[in-house]
Amino acid sequence: MSGVGLALRLGVDFVAGVVVGVGIGLLLDWWMGSSPAMLIVFVFLGAAAGTFNVFRTASGQGNAVGYRQAREDADDAKDAGAGDVKGKTTGKAGKDTQDGT
Amino acid sequence: MASPLEQFEIKAIVPIQVGGLDISFTNSSAAMAAALVVGTGLLVFGMGRASVVPGRLQSIAEMSYEFVAGLISDTVGAEGKRYFPFVFTLFMFVLLGNLLGMLPYSFTFTSHIIVTFAMAAMVFIGVTILGLVKHKMHFFSFFVPPGVPVAMWPLLIPIEIISYLSRPISLSVRLFANMLAGHTLLKVIGGFVFGLGAITFGVGGLLPLALMVALTGLEIVIAFLQAYVFAILTCLYINDALHLH
Repeated sequence: MSGVGLALRLGVDFVAGVVVGVGIGLLLDWWMGSSPAMLIVFVFLGAAAGTFNVFRTASGQGNAVGYRQAREDADDAKDAGAGDVKGKTTGKAGKDTQDGT
Repeated sequence: MASPLEQFEIKAIVPIQVGGLDISFTNSSAAMAAALVVGTGLLVFGMGRASVVPGRLQSIAEMSYEFVAGLISDTVGAEGKRYFPFVFTLFMFVLLGNLLGMLPYSFTFTSHIIVTFAMAAMVFIGVTILGLVKHKMHFFSFFVPPGVPVAMWPLLIPIEIISYLSRPISLSVRLFANMLAGHTLLKVIGGFVFGLGAITFGVGGLLPLALMVALTGLEIVIAFLQAYVFAILTCLYINDALHLH
């Protein structure tokens, strides 16, 4: 895939996470009448999910949800004596949401 | 001069109203019907008089079959063969929609988010049902990251679920945005050919015209690429549903 294509794909991946987060937030607020508490929470969760999407796409894991491939990569990396891919993934998402919520 | 967005307008060809619902046969429906007819015709006539040394139509039919079959066996493996008809239909429909949209005066139905979203939602719901049927309740372990302390689960499981739900959106927006942007750009540059040409006795129109030729080639590449991306992501999702971690 070309550079522009990859950039566009990463952008769309991130925005999709935020859009779903906002959608769930608005829906829960409308259902429970708690506006805007749920929206605030889910915007940040959505941003974290978007970051996850971008990370997975950028590290060549397709759009796979779950950790199967990340774990395989980590095992490969461990075999090669390099860094821990899985630890990096979870650390990143954890940091993002702690900043947000 | 015509607006660059005018090409995306939906016009009813045969107006049909059923109980207050507008289900008219539109130019979008016509383009979809054309994609179906061309796709079916290609395969039926291409393989109708199949010979050992393939003719032109037969080569196209065989190439598209082998391309999608290779895609599935690379991403899903031997188990994926059962899903070949679905992926092949999606691929041909999107590809022909993109390519027929490149013909002058035609209509690109893949440049409408509702069309691409309907296809992406179909893939998403189908894959989710496939995962549920195949793995029963075990399917939900999909959202639980292994090797993470239980204390982190309340935070990570919603993120995983949002990430999963964002799939149909990124799948549909990617195809729609590419086609919309490409066709708008072509129309804008096309407007320059006329606009600049009219005030400089045709000389000024040559540069945008050359650009237009290059961009048309690029659009055809994008038409193939986006159909390929749509098909490969569908395969990846099927693979995810079949082999959970």
